[in-house]
Amino acid sequence: MTDLRARLDTLPLGRVARPVRDASVERGPAFDVREQHIDLATLGLSVVGQSEPDPRVVTHLGLKGASPSRWEDIVFLDTETTGLMGGTGTYVFLLGTARIRDGELVLRQHLLREIGAEAAFVRALREELAPFRACASYNGKCFDLPLLRTRFVMTLRSDLTVDDSHLDLLHPARRLWRDRYGSTSLRQLEDSVLDIVREDDIPGALIPERYFRWLALREPRLIEPILSHNARDIVSLVRITDRIAQAVIDARAGRAPDHAPAAFALAKAFARAGESDVAYLCYQSAYADADSDLRIRVALPYAAALEVRGHVERAAKMVDLLLELGLGTPRWRAQAEARVRRLSRIMAKRCAPSKTSATRPRRSAAGSSPALS
Amino acid sequence: MRTDVRFPARTSLAQILDILERDSDFLSQITHWERLPAKAPRYAPFPEWLDPRIARSLRARSIDALYSHQAAALEAAHARKHVVVVTPTASGKTLCYDLPVLDAIAKHPSARALYLFPTKALAQDQLAELERLSTEMAIELKTFTYDGDTPPQARAAIRSAGHVVITNPDMLHTGILPHHTKWVKLFENLQYVVLDELHTYRGVFGSNVANVLRRLRRICAFYGSHPIFILTSATIANPEELARRHVEDEVVVIDESGAPRGEKVVAFVQPPVVNAGLGIRRSALLVGRDIAATLLASGIQTIAFTRSRVQTELLLTYLRARFPQPQWPPELIRGYRGGYLPSERRAIERGLRDGSVRGVVSTNALELGIDIGALQAAVLVGYPGTVASTWQQIGRAGRREDLSVAFVVATSSPTDQYIVQHPEFVLGRSPEAGLVNPDNLHVLVEHLKCAAFELPFDRTERFGTEDTLGVLSYLDEHGILHESEGRYHWSDQAFPAEAMSLRTASNDNVVIIDTTDGRTRVIGEVDRFAAPVLVHEQAIYLHESKQFQVEKLDWENAKAYVREVKVDYYTDAGLAVRIRVLAEFASSTEKALRAHGEVLVSALATVYKKLTLYTHENVGWGKIHLPEQELQTTSFWLALPEAVTRTWPKERVEVAIAGLGNLLHALAPLFLMCDPHDLGLAVEVRSPHTSLPTIYLFDMTPGGVGFSERLFRSTEPLLQRAAEHLAGCPCAEGCPSCVGPAYALGAKVKATVVELLRQLA
Repeated sequence: MTDLRARLDTLPLGRVARPVRDASVERGPAFDVREQHIDLATLGLSVVGQSEPDPRVVTHLGLKGASPSRWEDIVFLDTETTGLMGGTGTYVFLLGTARIRDGELVLRQHLLREIGAEAAFVRALREELAPFRACASYNGKCFDLPLLRTRFVMTLRSDLTVDDSHLDLLHPARRLWRDRYGSTSLRQLEDSVLDIVREDDIPGALIPERYFRWLALREPRLIEPILSHNARDIVSLVRITDRIAQAVIDARAGRAPDHAPAAFALAKAFARAGESDVAYLCYQSAYADADSDLRIRVALPYAAALEVRGHVERAAKMVDLLLELGLGTPRWRAQAEARVRRLSRIMAKRCAPSKTSATRPRRSAAGSSPALS
Repeated sequence: MRTDVRFPARTSLAQILDILERDSDFLSQITHWERLPAKAPRYAPFPEWLDPRIARSLRARSIDALYSHQAAALEAAHARKHVVVVTPTASGKTLCYDLPVLDAIAKHPSARALYLFPTKALAQDQLAELERLSTEMAIELKTFTYDGDTPPQARAAIRSAGHVVITNPDMLHTGILPHHTKWVKLFENLQYVVLDELHTYRGVFGSNVANVLRRLRRICAFYGSHPIFILTSATIANPEELARRHVEDEVVVIDESGAPRGEKVVAFVQPPVVNAGLGIRRSALLVGRDIAATLLASGIQTIAFTRSRVQTELLLTYLRARFPQPQWPPELIRGYRGGYLPSERRAIERGLRDGSVRGVVSTNALELGIDIGALQAAVLVGYPGTVASTWQQIGRAGRREDLSVAFVVATSSPTDQYIVQHPEFVLGRSPEAGLVNPDNLHVLVEHLKCAAFELPFDRTERFGTEDTLGVLSYLDEHGILHESEGRYHWSDQAFPAEAMSLRTASNDNVVIIDTTDGRTRVIGEVDRFAAPVLVHEQAIYLHESKQFQVEKLDWENAKAYVREVKVDYYTDAGLAVRIRVLAEFASSTEKALRAHGEVLVSALATVYKKLTLYTHENVGWGKIHLPEQELQTTSFWLALPEAVTRTWPKERVEVAIAGLGNLLHALAPLFLMCDPHDLGLAVEVRSPHTSLPTIYLFDMTPGGVGFSERLFRSTEPLLQRAAEHLAGCPCAEGCPSCVGPAYALGAKVKATVVELLRQLA
């Protein structure tokens, strides 16, 4: 049998060029904890940390589970990991958290310095998260939390409960901004929504390899960019949370987003939540500002909202106009035509009361609010 | 043989066989007519420890005792011993594992079991059976299949609540082990692992599966469980060895079936020669059609097996033409193969069970465990490739008490011709071994990477027989693992299991893309080593008996673009093969020098010729510009003794080793349970290693899966079978069924090889 190393050299292994470990560097403790304090006033927040969280707002932030009663009970978190694919071989090496305390945003970062000491690191994370009743993240449902949970099981055989209530901001952010900005990566939203431009930021894809280089060489210039990347992500997460909450509150106060797709997305969310009045206002705003493609999508749910409010004729006219303009796919047109026929029947019964319909209570009369136009 | 005329409908099988046995036309095609006598059952009582609910419901099904092999399997499992059950088709193997599992769950509802089947279809069938049993027994049991078809929303419940998880090795490899933290309940409480159809886990697939099982045991140990393995296998020469390679522990073998068997006739059919010179016989498909039609016309429920999907469709068409509408509804005879919808398959299986479907033409898809009841007759069009498969297909016919029949119809391929002339090869003690090589370094290292992804490695841990720490530290130096505090952690961003298939040796395949009429459809793959010969530009590539021409070979990206053509030639590429022996593992000089060891095969495709179909005239050629291919693998080699060849002219030596090489290459798969193309052939008139004329048979899998060692140990029977085969081949000078065509090798090829084998014997 030929020499093992020579034989291994012939295999296609997907080798990674990595520096040889510098044995002279002191390894230090298993993990580090860093803390920063940021004055909340400098973050320009209008909802988060300002008053008690409104359960109806929190629901729109993507909450699953019981609503926390104080902002202080929510931990904002973001992890950095050794891979992006998940699974038991992907390590969480950095957990960044933020909490609201006494007018400050307190940022804490746990950094794993020795993969072999992961158990001690995960124990510390467990203590860190234990006091919180809920967490907030950006795509944490699919990424950060399953990975953390895996690490908890592997090292401590314990479960994780901080995400029994979980605000994952990715989904509401998508609803609000995807059509406008295309991407709803946190980076994109910083740029488009928060007007922040990140300079010299390390791209996420490079982080795992950079971390392993740092493990070998222990040079601060390798790890510092990752720490500041993570810190910025968490601060942005807090600010994006605030923007979304503000948009929800504005819509409820009658100020739907001026961007039609966002208004439409909110309208659907409100409709699902049973807040039909707010939904109606958002549909209206969305329809008014929409281009013809979006109008096609808004028209039928908007017509339904109009009908419920007794504006049968307006609803019919609106759908009819789109049909006359020759818009929409054949399938949509078939649905729209059916809707117009139905609306016309209702109108016919109203305008020319026959023997039967005069005595029958009209279903649409329930929503006979004053016409808005 | 005209069917519809001679036989009135509803003739009994015994009568038909009687008539056939007296039909001299028919008998002239039969090389062997074996009557296997009926066998009485042997029973054993239910074990005392068996949960009373199980015994009660078995009695309610009129099962008052177990077959002896079932009882033996139950006792072994109960004594916490791994066990492999090697008994024929329809001997009640399923109960050998279902009963211990049901008993464990009846007694401890937290107990879990994992069932592994080689295919998804088998998993579905087992699910239904287990659910039926547990319902009857009133045992709370949640059984689920977990595979690529499992809806994502159902997966969470299966992970935590499933008592029995039925899956396949591929899913275990990519979907379960790398995510073991989601399966804590399963792994903490895993009592049994069932590995059905063990004999299918051989070769590359088996070597991979053996490593997946190593990973499984590692995860179980992490969660503190030590499951018992219950395996079942078709009859092979080495069930214990194969089971031990997979379980890596002592395994109890149970190979005495207590199940009854009805009388069975197995007939070997040799289609008549049509062209003696070229060794061409009447098509096996047509001969098979006639036999099947005869049986069907007499009301005998019949299954016909073919070797490919195309042949299945062809035979179905032929048979339906024999039984035209409206007298016979077309649903009377059905086709069955991969590619049919699951609902369609279920309907056919039901029809076979209730008798409304009278005939079915199938690929080997129906060979394994799927419940279709027992038919009366099986017609095998072509030797299925292994003795084990042959018996499984034959076993599809035969109720427990009644007479049944199976016809094995030979094609003109060398193995078929060998089998039909030497039926004792099938009827006697199985000569074929299921071989695996889990310690093939290529395979081992890939799985070691997956294992490290799943759990960090301790310095003292062993994974396979290689120097585990040596591999770990090598991977650490190359950035794939990261050593910290004496443990080796996965340190790559990739997900190692994802990139790796259990079913193919290397992921480095050239994909063949059909671009006819502007489509882009993948129609096949060839491994990179063979690609320069098969898919060089301008090559004619045959796929499902259609001709395709390679228009462009994108070597960098491993893609060959082909277009369907109709031409009257084929292409044949010349390959300059050099063999360098790197290490000799063992050798012997008895009669002739033979050895096995590690080799480096270099192959350079040089030119290709265009040869006309049928007449093989050279009508053009071209150069091939592709890099030399290297394959590091294991090889068996056999050198011709100097005493034999010293006096021969060089041309005669060339003809002799080419002919003998072809013959051995064609027959070796009989011992190895492999396809001919799993084995490479090279001959050297004067080998630099042996300094003699030498034939190399090498493993086409990088690193080898154990073929060469087996060939080294079985050289004598191989040469003996080669001599027998040549003696029985009716061709005059050499044909594709034996040493290769005389038109290509020279008129004296057959005689020369005969002489050579006589000297070697």
